[in-house]
Amino acid sequence: MQIVTQKDANITQVSPKKSLSPLAMARKKFLRNKLAMISLIFLVIVAIVSFLAPYITTADITKVNIGQMSLKPSSEHWLGTDKSGRDVFTRLLYGGRISLLVGISCTFFVVFIGTLIGSIAGYFGGIIDSLLMRFTDFILNFPFLVFVIVINAILFGKVSGLWVLIAVISLLYWGGVARIVRSKILSEKENEYITAAISIGCSPAKVIIKHLLPNILSTIIVQATITFATMIVIESALSYLGFGVPQEVPSWGNMLNSANEPDVLQYKLWIWVPPALLITLTILSINFIGEGLKDAFNPKSKR
Amino acid sequence: MLKFAFRRFLGMIPMLLLISIVIFTLARLMPGDSFSGEIDPTNTNPEYIAEMREKLGYNDPLPQQYFRWITNFIQGDFGKSTRFKISVSEVIKERLPNTLLLGFTSILITYVLAFLMGMYAGRKPYTLGDNLIGTFNYLGLSIPSFVAGVFAIYFFSYKLGWFPSNGSIGIGMKEGTIEYWLSRFHHVILPAFVLAFLNIASYTQFLRNDIIENSRKDFVRTARAKGTPESKIYNVHILRNSIIPLVTFLGFDLVSIISGAIITETIFTYPGLGQLFLQSVGTRDYPVLMTLTMLFSLITLIGNLVADILYGVVDPRIRLD
Repeated sequence: MQIVTQKDANITQVSPKKSLSPLAMARKKFLRNKLAMISLIFLVIVAIVSFLAPYITTADITKVNIGQMSLKPSSEHWLGTDKSGRDVFTRLLYGGRISLLVGISCTFFVVFIGTLIGSIAGYFGGIIDSLLMRFTDFILNFPFLVFVIVINAILFGKVSGLWVLIAVISLLYWGGVARIVRSKILSEKENEYITAAISIGCSPAKVIIKHLLPNILSTIIVQATITFATMIVIESALSYLGFGVPQEVPSWGNMLNSANEPDVLQYKLWIWVPPALLITLTILSINFIGEGLKDAFNPKSKR
Repeated sequence: MLKFAFRRFLGMIPMLLLISIVIFTLARLMPGDSFSGEIDPTNTNPEYIAEMREKLGYNDPLPQQYFRWITNFIQGDFGKSTRFKISVSEVIKERLPNTLLLGFTSILITYVLAFLMGMYAGRKPYTLGDNLIGTFNYLGLSIPSFVAGVFAIYFFSYKLGWFPSNGSIGIGMKEGTIEYWLSRFHHVILPAFVLAFLNIASYTQFLRNDIIENSRKDFVRTARAKGTPESKIYNVHILRNSIIPLVTFLGFDLVSIISGAIITETIFTYPGLGQLFLQSVGTRDYPVLMTLTMLFSLITLIGNLVADILYGVVDPRIRLD
C-alpha cells in the first residue's frame, strides 16, 4: 500500500501543469475586459434593484393620485410624479422588472427554438433540413414588426397580455438563430469525433446535446446577447407604440409613451427622460457585454 | 446569374401566396367583419345587414371568400376603406409619396454619412477622430430609434426650433411651388435622420473595418511601392474594394425602412404608410390593414431577394443554387 501511494504522488508531481480549457480562457479574457465588466455590473445592479422593487419602494404603482399630478422631482418623489400622480421612480423600478422579464423570456425562447430547429436541420440534413429551412425562410420573410402588431391586436384582451407578447415575439423571431446554428452544426459535424461518437452507437439526441452543442456554445451565447438587446428594443418600441405590454402595466416603453404628448415632451422632462436613459444604458451595456464575449471567444483576438 | 435571379423571382410567388393565406386567416380572426366597408353603418336594420352580408358573400365558405379576395387583389382591387369610405388604393396613393420621400432621404443620408465617416475613420484608425466616430457608432447602435426620435424632437424642434416636430407639409402651401418642396424637405429631414441613425452607425463601422483590412493587403503595398499618392490609394484602390460589400446592404435597407417607418412616422405624426398601418390596426380598417400587410410583405420579400442577388453579383465565389 505504501508504495502505491508514493507512486501516485510521483505521477502528480511529474505531470505538467494542466493548461486552461477554451472556456476558462474565454472567461479569463472576459474578466479582464473592463468595459464589459462595468456593463455587466451595471446590468446586474439594474436587474437586482428592479426585481426587488416591492421591497425598495412602498409607493402604490396602480393608484391614480389626482392630488399629486405631474409633480417635479423632490425628496418625497425622487423623480417626480407622472400625469396620473404616480411616482416615476417606483414605476421605473417596476418597469425594469417587466422589460427585463420580457427581454429574458423572449431571448430564452428564441434561442431555444432556434437552436432546436437549427441543430436538427443541420445534423440530419437531407429532406428534414430542406423542410425545416424552407419553413425558417418562410418565417424570416414576414415583416417582423408588422406581424407582431397584427397578431397582438387579434389576441389582445382574449388572453393575458404579457405572455401573449412574449409568445408572439418568440414565435416570429427564432429564424435568424436557427440559420446560424444550422450553419455552425453543418461544419462542426464533419469532424472525426462526431463520426466516432456515431460509430460507438450514440443516439442522435446524445450526439447533438453532448458533442455538438458544447462546441458551438460560444456562437449561441453571443447570439443570445445580441437577441437580448434586440428584445429590449422591440418590447419597449411596441409598448411605446401602444401594441406591447398592456397600458396599465408599467414598462419602460409604456412610460416613454407619455412623451407623445407635446406638453410632457417639452416641459415635463422628469417623466420621460429616466426611462429613455435607462433603455439606452441597458442596451449599451448589453452590447458591450456582447462585444466582450465575442472577443473572449475569439482565439485570434490579441486582448 | 440571370437564371438564378429569375428562379428566385418565381420562387417568390408561392411564398407570397402562403403569406396571403396567413394574412387572410389573421384578418378573419380579428374581432368584427373584415370586409364590412361596403355596409352602410347608419342603417342598423338587421334585414338590410343580412341582405348585404349575403350579397357581399360573407356567408360563403372561407376558401371561396379567400379566392375572391385574392383574385380581386391581384387585379388591383383592394376593397374599400371602412374608415375613409374611399377605395384602399386611393388611401395608399395619398400616403405613398410621403413614405417614399422619407425612405429615399433616409437611405441617401445613411450612405453619404456612412461613406464620409467610414472613409475618414478607416484612413486614420485609432486617432481621436476615429475614436469619436467609434463612440458615435456605439451610441447609434444602442439608442433605439424611438428614443432617438423623442430626443431629436425635444432638442431640434422644441429647444432649437430648427425643424418642425410633426406633419409632412406646412399649412397653406401651394403644390408645385419651390416653397412647397422646401417645406416638405424641411419636414422630412428630422424623421429621415432618426430613421437612418442605426444604419449610419453599422455601415460606418463596417466600412471602417473593411478599409483597415484592405489597407494591409498586397495590392496596397504594391501601389505604395510604385509611388501612388496616398489619397489615390485610399480613394480609388481601397474604396473600390470596400464599397462592394456595402452595396449588398441595399436589400436589407428596404426591409429595415418598413419597420423603421412604422415607428418613426408615429413619433413625428408623419402621414405615411407606417402611420396609416398603425391607425388601421387601431380603427379596425381591415381592407387597408390587409393591403398594407401584403405590401410590406412584398417589399420584405423583394428586399431579401435583392440582397441575395447582390451577394452573388458582388462575390462570385458564392454558389448560386
